[in-house]
Amino acid sequence: MTWTDEELVARSIGGDSESFNELVLRWERPIYALAYRTIGREEDARDVCQETFLRAFRALPGFRGQAKFSSWLYRIALNLCRDWIRRERRAPIVQPPEDVDVMELAAASEPSESIEDLVARKDLSRAVERAMSLLPDEQRTAIVLKEYHGLTFQEIAELLGCPLSTVKTRLYQGLTVLRRELAKGEAKRTKVTL
Amino acid sequence: MTESVCTYAGDRDEALVTFLYDDDSSVNGQRAAFAAHVAVCAVCREELDALRGVRTQLGRWTPPEPNFVIHQSISHQQPAVGNSAWWRTIPAWAQVAAALLFLGVAAGIANLDVHYDQQGLTVRTGWSRDARTNVSVASAGPSAAAPWKADLTALEQQLRADIRVARTSTASAPAAAMQPQTVSAQHTGDADLMRRLRAMVDDSEKRQQRELALRIAELLRDVNVQRQSDLAKVNRALGAVENNLGVEVLKTRQQVNLMYRASQVVR
Repeated sequence: MTWTDEELVARSIGGDSESFNELVLRWERPIYALAYRTIGREEDARDVCQETFLRAFRALPGFRGQAKFSSWLYRIALNLCRDWIRRERRAPIVQPPEDVDVMELAAASEPSESIEDLVARKDLSRAVERAMSLLPDEQRTAIVLKEYHGLTFQEIAELLGCPLSTVKTRLYQGLTVLRRELAKGEAKRTKVTL
Repeated sequence: MTESVCTYAGDRDEALVTFLYDDDSSVNGQRAAFAAHVAVCAVCREELDALRGVRTQLGRWTPPEPNFVIHQSISHQQPAVGNSAWWRTIPAWAQVAAALLFLGVAAGIANLDVHYDQQGLTVRTGWSRDARTNVSVASAGPSAAAPWKADLTALEQQLRADIRVARTSTASAPAAAMQPQTVSAQHTGDADLMRRLRAMVDDSEKRQQRELALRIAELLRDVNVQRQSDLAKVNRALGAVENNLGVEVLKTRQQVNLMYRASQVVR
């Protein structure tokens, strides 16, 4: 039988830890994705995700169901992301392990899709990520919530505590910047290929 | 008729976003009004197409696959009760006796010949016995030929009884609250957890290798691009040097010619 979020919350408050596990399993990916797209670092996104659920677990007895459980969870995650952004914004560092021959590994690796395709796909993904990182936090958050989490304008407005028109304006401005930046990136990639 | 300048009367940006996401939950009719406008406004149509393209591109941004361990850390808050807990409640003397019983069984399997009589304890390997002794032992009853066997049998029965009691008391103890079925279920759960953990570790390793290979491929590509760019620069620089050199040679030749001519005039 599939329980709704609200039913699982009620059971968790009643002391059924399995119900909370079910909620975690149901929401960990969306929350991780939200954190990753907001702060842009895998490790930190995982930390934020974990902290979100721990906070939710602790605060669960105080959850009275005024909002949807998912909205409540999103709010916790966004607050944590905001704290993280305030605290630090570092450039990603990637270092190969010491005992690994990287050239050999590159030659030996046989992923299901060719490495060229993978690079191309990652390139596009990174281009979007780079363009998103140029947006002001509030525009990026609005786009992430709308584009990747499918929230309505109304839900976003409630979540971010701002008027509906502000949400739309942020979305429009953000998308316009993205349009410009992505076009720039594409032009650059075409130039390099030629 | 198609307009080349947008003349939409309302808040165009908001209306455009509402139309783009097809989310008209709050402002009734805004979307419909804008749809009518888009039909005649080339500017808005063009911008809508571009923003739809942006949305398509946004769909290509996928976060890296995460490794989740959150639910395990929360779900396993109860202290784990091992399936070997029951025998820990057996008294030490009983455990020693069990060890001796085990040794006796092992000795029998290993073809050892153990004698316990008025002369004391004698241990010999089976290969040192003669055939006659073998036959006599085989024909004699266990209690007459080997008094230790009777002792061991009695000890075994006592141990079995003790273990039964210990198991019963462990099972009924409220602190442990562990039924045999629960123990076996726990055992299966552990094995399952281990299997899942192994699978997670394997996945993680594969992912890391793939990620590393990808980064190296990107690095190689970047190095290649940089190399080509450097080569082009070197070519340009060499060309410039060649030009300069050519000019210098020309000048030198002109000077030599001039000097030659001057020397001819002096003669």
